[in-house]
Amino acid sequence: MTVVRIESLSKVYGAVRAVDRISVEIGDGEFISLLGPSGCGKTTTLKMIAGFEEASEGAIRFDGADVVRVPAEKRDIGMVFQNYALFPHMTVDQNLAFGLEMRRVPRAEMRSRIDRVLEMVQLSGFSGRYPSQLSGGQQQRVALARALVIEPRILLLDEPLANLDAKLREEMRVFIRDLQRRVGITTVYVTHDQAEAMTMSDRVVVMFGGRIAQVGAPADIYERPQNLDVARFVGQVNLVSGTVASADDGTLAIDTAFGRAAAPARDGLHPGQAVTLSLRPEAIGLGAPGKAGAPGRVEARYYSGSLIDYRVALDGGETLHVQSFPTVAFAEGDRVSVHAPADRLWLIGAAQ
Amino acid sequence: MSAASAAVAPAPSRLRLGPLVLIAPAAILLAVFLVIPYLNILLMSFRAPGQGTPYGEGFTIANYLRFFSDGFYIRQVANTLWIGFLCTAICLVVGFPVAWQLARGSPRFRAIGYGLVLSPLLVGIVIRSYGWTILLGNNGLINRTLTNIGLIEGPLPLMYNALGIVIALVHVFLPFMILPLMAAIQGVDPSLETAARSLGASRLTAFRRVTLPLCMPGIQAGCILVFVLSLSAYVTPSLIGGLRVKTMAVTVVDALIDTFQWPWGSALALILSVTGALIVVLFARLTRMKWKVART
Ligand SMILES: Nc1ncnc2c1ncn2[C@@H]1O[C@H](COP(=O)(O)OP(=O)(O)OP(=O)(O)O)[C@@H](O)[C@H]1O
Ligand SMILES: [Mg+2]
Repeated sequence: MTVVRIESLSKVYGAVRAVDRISVEIGDGEFISLLGPSGCGKTTTLKMIAGFEEASEGAIRFDGADVVRVPAEKRDIGMVFQNYALFPHMTVDQNLAFGLEMRRVPRAEMRSRIDRVLEMVQLSGFSGRYPSQLSGGQQQRVALARALVIEPRILLLDEPLANLDAKLREEMRVFIRDLQRRVGITTVYVTHDQAEAMTMSDRVVVMFGGRIAQVGAPADIYERPQNLDVARFVGQVNLVSGTVASADDGTLAIDTAFGRAAAPARDGLHPGQAVTLSLRPEAIGLGAPGKAGAPGRVEARYYSGSLIDYRVALDGGETLHVQSFPTVAFAEGDRVSVHAPADRLWLIGAAQ
Repeated sequence: MSAASAAVAPAPSRLRLGPLVLIAPAAILLAVFLVIPYLNILLMSFRAPGQGTPYGEGFTIANYLRFFSDGFYIRQVANTLWIGFLCTAICLVVGFPVAWQLARGSPRFRAIGYGLVLSPLLVGIVIRSYGWTILLGNNGLINRTLTNIGLIEGPLPLMYNALGIVIALVHVFLPFMILPLMAAIQGVDPSLETAARSLGASRLTAFRRVTLPLCMPGIQAGCILVFVLSLSAYVTPSLIGGLRVKTMAVTVVDALIDTFQWPWGSALALILSVTGALIVVLFARLTRMKWKVART
């Protein structure tokens, strides 16, 4: 299918650089998410790929060919909108047929393609209905079907699940991801929901203020955030302070409340310097007081069924957010010892 | 029902009463000032012509026979319908781009545009029609200017014909087309056009296949309003058409007031109303929106 290359792409609105020189390559059949807070330029990037916004600078290549000058209707993309944008005056069938008619697909083939896609999104019995006669989740699937039935080179989705309730949203995540794998289409997915980006994507592009902060597999982004913004935006994070003990052979040894951690050497970090490390809540273990680890006290406990969240105050003064399975149960006020494997401590940078 | 007994009435009956009470003023107004006069006109149209009185003794269908046996009046109805059709079509074509700008354009344009669109309604109908006679007459502003700059030799026939009537009617009825169109366009989500284009439609196709059909409720309302208003317009056609071109409304008023033939005038009025109503019903059926019906 299609490889998409974005080369130092920018969009300038007056004095605002909505998108600022971003570069990324999206592989054939890859599912990539643009993740970031509101206003970071996700939609603008997507619109430039689709051709609804003109790029101010840079190039967008589909299989090597620059498409910046190609009008939207010639780019052969399938797009799913946050509000679905189904045509209210057309039935499900007619909505799906629209893109095929534009491509002058013969009648008989049209019928079979529509039927096949409707079956894929599990809406076979709904072809005669108008969008107003469908539930939100069904409308969402029609929107997906309408984008897929034209067999586009690239599928673009802009927060397609934002208007669904939590349960349906989780179902649709899995549904879209499975469907995308089966069809094998290159996909760009925009979301500000980190859990959505993590569960669905092959790779995640984290954006802040129009720039790319980090690109990587979900585990990369989560376990090895490149800066504090990324660490904070992707899931919950504890910041642990440490001191550089030594720097030899390109490796730093860092002393923390949880023992000695190792990190690759970095410019500007030298022995004796105070640094900040990240530690994910589920990496932390709680034990009976007196066991190995840093002593502390459970300040608060939040039970959520599959997990329990604790807020633990270390005797050293730091407060940690800890997540554990209900098999480990402490009450508020209990004294605990807190331990964490050194390899889950990730160096963010010099302390601020 | 007194206020006290209404307060203790069981809930269901009060619920049913609510809408009735709310539509009562309109219903009474319609009954007293529309339905009863119409019945009166219907009755009058079957009365015998009078000698020296508005109407005579007894009932007859002679008025209708007179109409259908005289090509002159049938042509006059056709002429009136043609003028109504032209006004409607021109208002639609001229009004749509304006309504579009009002609905989608910049806010600054919207404020100015709104005022401009409504401005024809701010001037009284008689004054406005006289204004048009000053512009359109053989010795009027337009003809004199064109003659002076040498573009034409004799005056163009702009008055005392259908063209003049249509020009003047379009001017005043344009707001009745633009306002419903504007409301309809505002109701169409612009992302639908974007979606159509992402599916491979050009701008024009996206407009034709998506936006235009979704504006249909406004097109329907605007067309019906302008058509009906054009059929029943009196002052403008009588001043601009003069004695040369008469629309049906002018002939009806002549019969009722000048020649004092109430039964004949009533029959003409009814024929015009019924023809107009039939056309409106036909138009509404042809432009029926299945998706609107499905919405319930
Ligand atoms: N037409 C425009 N004119 C001026 N500024 C714009 C325009 N469209 C977007 N912007 C600005 O560009 C920036 C990026 O907007 P964009 O819509 O891409 O954000 P986003 O990441 O999609 O946010 P959200 O999650 O809220 O949808 C914002 O600061 C926005 O205000
Ligand atoms: Mg957005």
